Amino acid sequence: MAEPSSSTVDRAADRRTPRRRISAGKIAVYVVLILALIPVIFPIYYAFVGSVMPGGDLASSPPRIFPSGFHWSNVTGVFDSIPLGRQYLNSVVQAGIITIAQLITSIFAAYAFALMPMWGRRYVFGAFMATLMVPAESIIIPNYLHIGDWHLLSSSFGVVIGLVLPFLANMFGTFLLRQAFLQFPTELRDAATMDGCGHLRFLWRILVPLARPSIAAAGVYIFLTAWNQYFWPLLVTRSASQQTLQIGITQLRNAEVGDLGLVVAGAALSVIPTLLIVIFGQRYIVRGLTAGAVR
Amino acid sequence: MTAQTRGPAEAADRGTATDASRADRPARPTPRHGRDHALAYLFLVPSTIVFALFVVWPLGDSVYLSLHGSDLFGGASVFVGLDNYRDMFTSAEFGKVLLNTLEFVLLTVIPGVLGALVVVLLLEAQIRGTRVLRTAFALPFAFSVATASVIFSVIYNYQIGLANGILGFLGIGKVGWTTDPHVAMFALALTTVWMNLGYNVLVLSAGVGSIPAEVMEAARLDGASGLKLVRRIILPLLSPQLFFLVVVTTIQSLQSFGQIHILTKGGPDGSTTTLVYSIYKKAFAFGSSDFGTASAQAMVLLVIVLACTGIQFGVLQRKVHY
Amino acid sequence: MRSGKFRRRLAARALVGAAALALTATMAACGGSDSGGNSTDAPGADALKNVKSPVTVEFWHSMKGANVAALKQIVNKFNAAHKGKIVVKPVFVGEYDDAIAKYKTAVQQKNTPELIQVYDIGSRFMIDSKQTVPMYKFIDKDKWDSSAIEPNIASYYQFDGKQWSMPFNSSMPLLYINKDLFKKAGLDPNKPPENLDEIEAYAKKLTNKKKNIVGFNAAIYGWYLEQLMATNGDQYCNDSNGRKGLATKVNFDGPDGVKLAQWWTSMVKKGYASNTGRTTDAAQQAFKSGTVAMELESTGELRDFINSAKGKFSVAAAPFPRLTGSGAPDGGTIIGGASLWIDGIGHTDAQKRASWEFVKFASSPAIQALWHTGTGYFPVNSKALDEPTDKAWVKQYPQFSVAVQQLHSTKPSTATSGCALGVMPQARQAAEEGLEKTITSGDPSTAAANMKASADSLAKPITDYNKAVKK
Repeated sequence: MAEPSSSTVDRAADRRTPRRRISAGKIAVYVVLILALIPVIFPIYYAFVGSVMPGGDLASSPPRIFPSGFHWSNVTGVFDSIPLGRQYLNSVVQAGIITIAQLITSIFAAYAFALMPMWGRRYVFGAFMATLMVPAESIIIPNYLHIGDWHLLSSSFGVVIGLVLPFLANMFGTFLLRQAFLQFPTELRDAATMDGCGHLRFLWRILVPLARPSIAAAGVYIFLTAWNQYFWPLLVTRSASQQTLQIGITQLRNAEVGDLGLVVAGAALSVIPTLLIVIFGQRYIVRGLTAGAVR
Repeated sequence: MTAQTRGPAEAADRGTATDASRADRPARPTPRHGRDHALAYLFLVPSTIVFALFVVWPLGDSVYLSLHGSDLFGGASVFVGLDNYRDMFTSAEFGKVLLNTLEFVLLTVIPGVLGALVVVLLLEAQIRGTRVLRTAFALPFAFSVATASVIFSVIYNYQIGLANGILGFLGIGKVGWTTDPHVAMFALALTTVWMNLGYNVLVLSAGVGSIPAEVMEAARLDGASGLKLVRRIILPLLSPQLFFLVVVTTIQSLQSFGQIHILTKGGPDGSTTTLVYSIYKKAFAFGSSDFGTASAQAMVLLVIVLACTGIQFGVLQRKVHY
Repeated sequence: MRSGKFRRRLAARALVGAAALALTATMAACGGSDSGGNSTDAPGADALKNVKSPVTVEFWHSMKGANVAALKQIVNKFNAAHKGKIVVKPVFVGEYDDAIAKYKTAVQQKNTPELIQVYDIGSRFMIDSKQTVPMYKFIDKDKWDSSAIEPNIASYYQFDGKQWSMPFNSSMPLLYINKDLFKKAGLDPNKPPENLDEIEAYAKKLTNKKKNIVGFNAAIYGWYLEQLMATNGDQYCNDSNGRKGLATKVNFDGPDGVKLAQWWTSMVKKGYASNTGRTTDAAQQAFKSGTVAMELESTGELRDFINSAKGKFSVAAAPFPRLTGSGAPDGGTIIGGASLWIDGIGHTDAQKRASWEFVKFASSPAIQALWHTGTGYFPVNSKALDEPTDKAWVKQYPQFSVAVQQLHSTKPSTATSGCALGVMPQARQAAEEGLEKTITSGDPSTAAANMKASADSLAKPITDYNKAVKK
């Protein structure tokens, strides 16, 4: 897989860091960068520090930026106020199902588009790509009404189905994987066919393992997008135990009006998994992003 | 895009450029049985079902709803033709919604892309710790719209929030971040720009990273450095990514909902009611259930987003073919 | 119903067929088909006799925080007492506005809950929806003694003299006072201001910009305008506040609304009041932070305010101010809150009866005492105040007696029973928009135009609504 982006970013960075003397210009660059970094990092700092600040600190005047002490009661308070553990689970299930389903539907479609003969491929592919142009918000009303018509909103199990159903396939993942599959040398495919290897076996035994980095990139991207959904889960979920994390922390803010520390702690707790993904899975994200450069 | 930048731009976009030539010719050089064609279609069945049920059908429904009045419960009642559209386009309220949407897009896209560009260019200044710094700038990407908005709502709180606390400490009067109609849109845009910064930095860094090292070295040997290097080499080579980012963040801005729902609820005085929020308000808020009007507005959103994507595809078509 | 039409017209249905059928089969667990499906009559007690498995009552509510804890306590008690017979399942469906929006969709999709808590201003819509079994039918059937229900509260939910729903959580607005700030400004917290002009005079003395103290604050909440109009003895909408027939016009663009908009705008402009926006959350935070001397809020917030202020400042409650002078003789505050509605259409007699059993249980003195003490809402059953738990509670929160006095001193009148308008939720929003527009413009002279524009914007929704009802 010739994948341009992620590795080249790091290489580029390393490559351009020869051991040279630090000039005045560079110091200026550092200063500007650090100054720019402060407003970027501050809300994150504030979310985490605010969650362990004693009660009055967040609302004190003049404002406190450093905690006057350290305590866990905000964090434990979150769990008393909303079923955070349950909502975590809901989000994992929701984003997990969407990711796996989208990967499967995308792998099949991408393979068909990239490596199989297909009458009218251009037009079919164009029609499929057109679905990317339709903003989800423009069809959210009928989708919501349909989900309700199918009686999916009256039980917790139904809600889980309703949460994921419209997102089981998406052309973004398909497009990304098609790009990857197209890099695949056709000779290998032909050789495999000669050996009597059918399409299904070739796809799952040979192509998918080889395309793992691209699939991982697509997966991370799909997962993050699903995890961060707001509008759809807001409409579909009802009770706190059905809500995803995103809706849960918003409800926490509505419910705990007097306790900013609790609200901030909820936000901080909810962001930990994605923060870890961004820090440690950055190269996969970058791969997904740049492949999407022709979304 | 000028002719001289075209070549390297394609190189920068390697992933998509290479496949362009291949997708157009038949995938197999040898003729195949019809069975293979059928199998290819079979592989598309799962996606087709999802798209038919959750994109195509609802699209039809949106059109249908937009042509009908609403009964007591929001359901489609009588056919009203284009009345919903007429009422919408003649109301001052909707004009304001469109203006707000435009304002929000401009206030989020321009600073968001320019800010990220400056950061990425500074990161290219051959300094140490680039990787750590880049990760730091990318961190907001981890924040969902809900998390970011909740944190900013605490900061923006009028009476006891940090933002006004700092202003008060500096002896400046308090600002109604989410309650002053002249400020709320900026506060909303600031939150959005912050959220988008991580994504924008990652995309542009990848773009800069994919500029061939030889090109940079050659330019340096020619004595290009600093701003000259940026203007002559990096910016032209980065133009595909910049263009992509502008289009994508424009569409994202058009679709923004969570931050508005959490921070301002479209207020104060309707000053932050964008198109998507207006759809939500008509359809779901205050027990309104006016699905007819909401669907008419949804059609407007669809057309605007189609136009944006159309522009993107149109421009990209010149160098990328499917 | 929409659902039928939807199905009929959609050619794409064939495509969905399999998936939809499979889903419907697994999901359509509720809504049995024994009897009663399409009637809004009240079944007798025998409806529950032949029931083999427990009857489930899905109960939609909008309670949060401490309130939901108290609600669950009530439900658990009920379920324990009706073990094997009835199971009440409380489901939080969002704020009142969200709840009614979801209810509308549920009506179309024919999956309404058995029981739903609806806010006061949704009452007209609930009647017009023709989905529910009016409470008076159950009361008549059982010859149930409803005299203990506070008449002032019950009257809001009476139409043509009949009880349509059962009040559950009731509240009134009060003027909350930060005693410490009063004392610091040399004011006597026991002599609170009685009308808007007095509030301004007090706020002037209380405001201290250097210390980030404002004299007055309130959310730009349409409820307060409705209340202030009622204190003036004025009607919010025509046709006797919509009690005689379908109202066709709102009156908040009259002198009352304009006066409030002007007063509020100049208060904010002079810095005597802060504008924390339309959400009550932000206004509550402001008062709890101790930086606001006077605040309009619901009685339901009393307990929370007192507890949040503990160790920081002490809270006093004063009667809700009048718009002008000492108010009109037949004026007073409207009793807000929410009531319980039993759904009839699409539910079996057993389900309806089970819901009624819960409603009776929830309005009994002991349970109302538990509810009142757990939340701070009024007990809707006047006997609840005699319960020992309630007496102990009132002792702990003496401020509450102000609320009780206010409740009992209000004379039920056309003005104080509030406006029954099908699009009342939108009307409240529109009024808020007019107020907010004026306040944020900083120019009191725009008040009349803004309030009128808001009132005018309701003409079409009201006409549409009335047309839809008459059909």
